[in-house]
Amino acid sequence: MSLTVRGLVAGYGRLSVLHGVDLDAAEGRLVAVIGANGAGKTTLLRALSGLIPVSGGTVTLAGADVTGYGPERLARAGLAHVPENRLVFPSLSVEDNLVLGAYTRRRRPAAERAHARDRALELFPRLQPRLQQAAGTMSGGEQQMLAIARGLMAQPRVLVLDEPSVGLAPRLVGEIFAALGRLRDDGLTLVAVEQNARAAFAVADHVYVMDRGRVVLDGAAATLAADPRVTAAFLGGGVSADGGGKPPPATDTAADAGLR
Amino acid sequence: MTDLLQLVFAGLSQGAVYALIAIGFVSVFTVSGVINLAQGEFAALAGLVAISAVGSGLPLPAAAAVALATVAIVAVLMERLTIRPVKRMTTLVSLILTLGVSTALKALMLLVFGPNAEGLTPFTPGGFTVAGVSIRYQELWILAIAAVVASAVYWFYDHTLAGKSLRACAEQPVAARLVGISLGRASLMAFLIAGCVGAVAGVLASPIYFTSWESGLTLGLKGFVAATLGGLVSVRGAVLGGLLLGVLENLTAGYISTGLRDAVAFLLLIVVLVARPSGVFGRHAEARV
Repeated sequence: MSLTVRGLVAGYGRLSVLHGVDLDAAEGRLVAVIGANGAGKTTLLRALSGLIPVSGGTVTLAGADVTGYGPERLARAGLAHVPENRLVFPSLSVEDNLVLGAYTRRRRPAAERAHARDRALELFPRLQPRLQQAAGTMSGGEQQMLAIARGLMAQPRVLVLDEPSVGLAPRLVGEIFAALGRLRDDGLTLVAVEQNARAAFAVADHVYVMDRGRVVLDGAAATLAADPRVTAAFLGGGVSADGGGKPPPATDTAADAGLR
Repeated sequence: MTDLLQLVFAGLSQGAVYALIAIGFVSVFTVSGVINLAQGEFAALAGLVAISAVGSGLPLPAAAAVALATVAIVAVLMERLTIRPVKRMTTLVSLILTLGVSTALKALMLLVFGPNAEGLTPFTPGGFTVAGVSIRYQELWILAIAAVVASAVYWFYDHTLAGKSLRACAEQPVAARLVGISLGRASLMAFLIAGCVGAVAGVLASPIYFTSWESGLTLGLKGFVAATLGGLVSVRGAVLGGLLLGVLENLTAGYISTGLRDAVAFLLLIVVLVARPSGVFGRHAEARV
């Protein structure tokens, strides 16, 4: 199932943050959105999944217009959002976090939910021994895995992730992005917003570069990775295959690299 | 020694009533951040409805059921009409709103049931004496039913999907919405629980402590103090807070002065808010409900 965004305008109150964003995530593709702090990446995801109102443009999910849907309705329509900072339910057990992830599927046969659970645990085997542990007591990396697994429990057709690598050790970042790659190979459509451009480039099919609420550059990951403006602004010394690396500096990198 | 036992026992049964009302405060506050000052009115209304239902010839269990249903409907209507329409609910706004609802309910009760305080017929009249401690059967009813209801609420939050979804809303409202839980429905469910526990408390308490149109004020405030003792976010804390408050009140009334009974609650509230804002039993702020 594909996700299409056209001319999206959104913000907080009267402050517009997105000024007409276009984005395409074709079925079975992993799309990364990169950009410096304040470029509007998180706002884009929040508008996509209905957490903030959209004041212009359209969001289309598998050909159906879902613009202006609230998050509860979008969840039912097949979009799962793994939020910034994970936001697991801390006092609930890992098991219960997964159970709640399937909330939109609560009236479906239990076997379906059990299947989704098995697949999520197969993707993140580290969660298996922790099923009875309170989610809030796990490490950041495990919480991120749980947040993704919780999103998968809804058996979504599109999974959007907000900064899945933030605050994690490079090895864990690699592990999580490898899992995202496997999900893509299974046919899921993914959109990941990332500060860690190296990690994103290592697995993404297509990359969008955002700056000040607009998409300033986009293209196939392999093409963009060779673009001197991108290497200068986001990748420093080329792309490493392990998905690790430092997050980009917080300065106005896009301007430095001549993207405006 | 007999005095002490007598006072502690009476305190526990009174505290069980506070505990139920405190659970109502907790269930609403955790989900929506609303402090429902009409919580005590739920109990008073249930008592008055039960009394007048018995007066009109209904058997006691039926009268209790009518009272429970009435209060459940009132609680749900209150949520839909006064809480849901508010766009940006803050605790302060909720205090003003629910104070209004509480005043309106009191006026309505005065109008419908008149100004007299009455007591519901006890579930089982009389009592007995054990080791010098006199025990009324109604007090045993209070303790037993309160224990069953509190356990049921606890089980609901721990073992049902609906209960877990309420905890999810309490802990991470944004993530709860993202997995598809509607905060509006959660808030409605929280008020329904608050109405039910309040009604049970009101019906249980009426035979011993009497009910009038204004008895919701004291019950509500005591329940609020009990909930605050438990940090306002935990069912277990609310129950312990209620029992503690009931016992302390009775000890004060017995050993110091009856006039000081109601002062205990507020003295306790001040001490707790200054010294342990997260509640006496609260270990960490994270675990809610």
